[in-house]
Amino acid sequence: MKLASAIVALVVLLAGALWWVGQMAPESPIEVDNARVRLVPGGGPMAGYMEIRNHSDDVIRLVGAASPAFGNVMIHRTILSDGRARMQHQSDGVRIVPGDSAVFKPRDLHLMLMQPKGALEVGDQVEIVLRFEGIAPAEWPVAFTVVPVTLE
Amino acid sequence: MSLAVTPGRIIATIALVLLAAGCDDEGWHGKNITGLMPELEFRLTDENGNRVSEDVFAGRPVAMYFGFTHCPDICPTTLARLAAATRRLPEPISQDLQLAFVSVDPARDGPEQLDKYTGAFSDRMLGLTGTQKQLQALTRRYRITYGYDEPDANGDYEVSHSSAIFVFDAELEPRLMLLDSLEVPQMAEDLERLLTMP
Repeated sequence: MKLASAIVALVVLLAGALWWVGQMAPESPIEVDNARVRLVPGGGPMAGYMEIRNHSDDVIRLVGAASPAFGNVMIHRTILSDGRARMQHQSDGVRIVPGDSAVFKPRDLHLMLMQPKGALEVGDQVEIVLRFEGIAPAEWPVAFTVVPVTLE
Repeated sequence: MSLAVTPGRIIATIALVLLAAGCDDEGWHGKNITGLMPELEFRLTDENGNRVSEDVFAGRPVAMYFGFTHCPDICPTTLARLAAATRRLPEPISQDLQLAFVSVDPARDGPEQLDKYTGAFSDRMLGLTGTQKQLQALTRRYRITYGYDEPDANGDYEVSHSSAIFVFDAELEPRLMLLDSLEVPQMAEDLERLLTMP
């Protein structure tokens, strides 16, 4: 019966290991990658880009953002149609279903960062607090890197 | 049904591949507008505060984009692509091509603002703007429009504008529209082809 005992012991050990792995630091419900601010000279608004992944089991919605470095932050989308460009305020925010991501990128979704409060330089880090519905806590501070205006 | 490879099929396939690659029937990535619109003519104020006409470009080709500096996404993206495409061109056409940014938002874009903005993309990009009358005269010439949204509580407002780059030859005749969908290599290819034409 030595073999059977060994098998039981092994199974118990494996189950314990699996339980332990499951108890390790829980996965963050969201992940923000490649957060960057494109530096536009002259004191005008700048664009913030990033990718937000929803690792949670719930639908989440980015509903707003604020930053100590800018007077006002809005969620915008560039609309290109019939040879014309215009910007559309995303007043309902941006919805992200479980397992999906929202990509903020040039010529598309972007954070419109208005009224810069000080001179920024390439390489600086700027904090932008993203505000969500559907996860706790609602506010997620993210460090954005200032990149050259010529970078897409 | 026959699946034989015929010359007709091969040509049709090549045509489809070209279409999929975003070329028109003449092989341009952008839109050939040769002979469709009048030559360049304007009265505007440049980024140094000087009143200028189309003579400021005389004798050299120019690529012109209409936008505004409080445009954080599409304007910098397009201007950066144009500047990058220009740097890819062989000499001497790379040095020959002039770049122009016409702001259709004169209320916020004075000469100083324009100067700072264009300098971020290329030393050779000239910022221009003018009165509504002057801007309308120029934009109507090229059948493009611009408009302003209602200002928000902070007084900020959005501007809609044309998304294409207009390219004029050395005689200031409009030749090509580089559409907003073009990436840097396609822009460079079109510019090189146009500027090396006999």
